Amino acid sequence: MSWVTEHPPARVDLDACVTCGLCLPVCPTFRLTGDETASPRGRLAAISAVDAGVLGIDERFSDVIGFCLQCRACETACPSLVPFGDIIERATAEVVAQMPSTVSRVRRFAATTGVGTPWIMRGGSILLGIAQRLRLAGALERLGIPASGLRRIPIPLPTARGGSWGASDAPTAMLFVGCVADVWFAEIHQATIEVLLAAGYRVESPKAQTCCGALAAHDGLTDNAERMSAANSSAFASADLIVVNVAGCGSHLKADPELGSRVRDITEVVADAISDGRLETLPANGTSVAIQDPCHLEHGQGIVDAPRAVVAAAGYEVVDADRDGLCCGAAGTYLIDYPETSTELGERKAAAVRAGGTKIVASANVGCEMQLRRFLDDSYDIAHPVEFYARARRGK
Amino acid sequence: MTFIEELVALLGPERVRHHPLDLIVFSKDAGVTSGKVIAAVLPEHTQEVAAIVRIARRHDTPIVPRGAGTGLAGGAVPVEPGLIVVLTRLNEIHEVDEVGRTAWVGPGVINLDLSRSLEPVGLHFAPDPSSQQACTIGGNVATNAGGPHCLADGTTIAHVLAAELVTADGSVVVVGSEAPDLPGLDLRAVVVGSEGTLGIITKVLVRLTENAPDVATLLIGFPTIEAAAGTVSGIIASGLIPAALEIMDQPMVVAVENFVHAGYPTDAGAVLLAEVTGTREGVKSGVAVISAIASRNDATEVRVATDSAERAILWKGRKSAFGAVAQAAPDYYLHDTVVPRTALVEVLRKIYEIGDRYDLHMLNVFHAGDGNLHPLVAFDARKPGMLERVQAAATEMVEVSIEAGGSLSGEHGIGLEKRHLMHLVFSDVDLDAQARVREAFDDAGMMNPSKILPEGSRCFDASGVRL
Ligand SMILES: Cc1cc2nc3c(=O)[nH]c(=O)nc-3n(C[C@H](O)[C@H](O)[C@H](O)COP(=O)(O)OP(=O)(O)OC[C@H]3O[C@@H](n4cnc5c(N)ncnc54)[C@H](O)[C@@H]3O)c2cc1C
Ligand code: SF4
Ligand code: SF4
Repeated sequence: MSWVTEHPPARVDLDACVTCGLCLPVCPTFRLTGDETASPRGRLAAISAVDAGVLGIDERFSDVIGFCLQCRACETACPSLVPFGDIIERATAEVVAQMPSTVSRVRRFAATTGVGTPWIMRGGSILLGIAQRLRLAGALERLGIPASGLRRIPIPLPTARGGSWGASDAPTAMLFVGCVADVWFAEIHQATIEVLLAAGYRVESPKAQTCCGALAAHDGLTDNAERMSAANSSAFASADLIVVNVAGCGSHLKADPELGSRVRDITEVVADAISDGRLETLPANGTSVAIQDPCHLEHGQGIVDAPRAVVAAAGYEVVDADRDGLCCGAAGTYLIDYPETSTELGERKAAAVRAGGTKIVASANVGCEMQLRRFLDDSYDIAHPVEFYARARRGK
Repeated sequence: MTFIEELVALLGPERVRHHPLDLIVFSKDAGVTSGKVIAAVLPEHTQEVAAIVRIARRHDTPIVPRGAGTGLAGGAVPVEPGLIVVLTRLNEIHEVDEVGRTAWVGPGVINLDLSRSLEPVGLHFAPDPSSQQACTIGGNVATNAGGPHCLADGTTIAHVLAAELVTADGSVVVVGSEAPDLPGLDLRAVVVGSEGTLGIITKVLVRLTENAPDVATLLIGFPTIEAAAGTVSGIIASGLIPAALEIMDQPMVVAVENFVHAGYPTDAGAVLLAEVTGTREGVKSGVAVISAIASRNDATEVRVATDSAERAILWKGRKSAFGAVAQAAPDYYLHDTVVPRTALVEVLRKIYEIGDRYDLHMLNVFHAGDGNLHPLVAFDARKPGMLERVQAAATEMVEVSIEAGGSLSGEHGIGLEKRHLMHLVFSDVDLDAQARVREAFDDAGMMNPSKILPEGSRCFDASGVRL
């Protein structure tokens, strides 16, 4: 008995790896350790060995799989087009099914009940908001809660869920609000709605939507992820266009068989509107913005140019924060189980940003934004590309 | 203490791997064969490497050095159950002499990282194997790696001045020196290309090359592979020495384009990737010469890339060629032979014939400038008899190349996979001489045994010597 779940890693996908090793240098865990078992090729070899029945699923296997950030940089680098992200999610689900104790209780709670239950999410957020006001973020960090990465949480809490904006005869863009983004990053939703309206859309945010399920899927909690997917499928049943402004959610939703083909990242939608003239290009303002490439935008969705086009159209000079750099180490709930690696990668990313010299940074993923905020001081202005565009429009 | 206990006492448990998973993962490089691993260790500096070697010697355990494991000849695969010594953590760039254009680097430094880090000072490490984004300098030295740009610059041997080596008795020696010409035997030249059989390289003094002021890359489409090869002969005959001349046949171009989307012409029978470097004027006239020769050879398309982004994507296509093959089949066997440039077209024709006869799916990509052929066979090793068929075809292809006046290996080394063919190019006396050199470095025969030299190379096999 090697696999037990319904959808284990597929033999044809594993066979696509020719073991060339070209993915090794882009893998953050390999770069930090120089260890083949912490590389994409090594992980695939281990998974293949389980598939072939010559290796069992045990602690060591679980650790080799769990240590992967699921950043999918290896997928972009692989000339053989190995679908690594899908393989590792399936392998993780196997580990969870066969060794339930391996996903720490904290991580499991965070990835499922925490993000999937509105009252828990909101209650926790109020507590965080109060802690921020009492300047306790540092103390929470020491307890392992990455509170210093948060923007200031408004009290009462905001929500964009259930709203609709704009003229009823315009084409509708349905806004996916996400779990943490809805309460912690309300300004990004505001900017998104504003810019979509300017581009000629009506915006609607279905009330029945829930967390995208990416965190649960990454942690191998397939059942939870599937329940969330079903809820979202019915909430967005009537949508032609689903707009997502968190790259991690977008990357997961795009792989959804029901929703996938209708999902687009906000930077794609805005970049298109700019290029066909629905949105204007604002005059140059002489300031530069460093673009950070979130793994789930670049590797998960293959989007590199769009955030640059959006920020450039806002009048900024675009520079790279850390092109071809490694994952920032945020990686969903990764930092709960591997705080040291997460911190090491966060420090590296911050060092690359500092070395670039630009103090304004655009990130299209809230997870990366939080990680950047944790390791950069307050003098850095970090926001979503669409916020830079909205700001420039307001100021014109 | 047991072998493992001694290693753990030295390195701690995290750096000594012997769990079944680790034994499987470390049993293979980028080639097709796998071996038997007793343990894998991850040392961090020379003294640890030396201590590991002494422990292994006491326990009479063979050692196999490993860099990034991108080798294609099975060099890092232990034939006899052995200890894998992973050198990736010796990845420090120790010192760079910008004026003298040299650098002392750790063997674990990744080839492309070294060149990237030198960009600000306008220098680079010239050998650029297609695996350069992943392979290590130690691996390059051990295999005397070549690459597309070695046409003008020469292979790794031309870019290594000295190396620090841990030999089989655990002592640390330096071969070569910063001085260009050393009195006595040039042991450096013996160590470069020794594939881990003479010792473990723990530091390398590399020669650095100045970046060219101007570069142009040409992508030229041809109706047939003969037309592409004819162009290469024409360019060489014209006296021009381009920085690189690479040919890919149509199946290869299709696979590559599917990955990079660089606009490679997938309908062409073959494409030639040529690069000229030098002064602005020199590059301009080089481009003109190549374009003219190409159109005389019925080129269907000539694209000149001068900005670095476009050049980068064209090269990315070429350099991902081997990996892209898997789109055709799960396994590949990559050949690596050298033939005189004049025999290129003839040998290629015979190679395609052999492929057809064995009914194999073949793709071709090669360093045309120096006649280094890389026919690639994509296959499924799980089909019964398949591997044998592929290997039989491989032997014939090598024989054809040697008949045409060529050699066994262009750059990937002999390792495990071509060892049995050494007798095609070397006499018994030659092989015996090589075995003696090896014995001089490693009397116990514990450094990467069963590599390069075929069994029984030593005519007067001293008892107890493992070959
Ligand atoms: C896609 C692809 C393209 C390639 N293209 C080229 C090419 O264009 N030209 C070319 O020459 N090769 C090419 N190769 C082959 C391979 O990349 C080279 O041989 C490279 O030099 C191996 O480096 P490595 O660090 O991966 O070494 P490994 O594969 O780990 O080892 C290779 C050999 O070197 C020995 N070795 C490694 N490190 C040390 C050390 N520190 N001390 C002593 N011995 C050591 C090993 O024992 C083994 O025998 C290619 C491979 C791939 C997968
Ligand atoms: S790049 Fe792709 S084919 Fe090559 S080792 Fe990595 S996963 Fe396998
Ligand atoms: S997903 Fe990221 S961390 Fe995981 S193997 Fe690929 S590159 Fe490495």
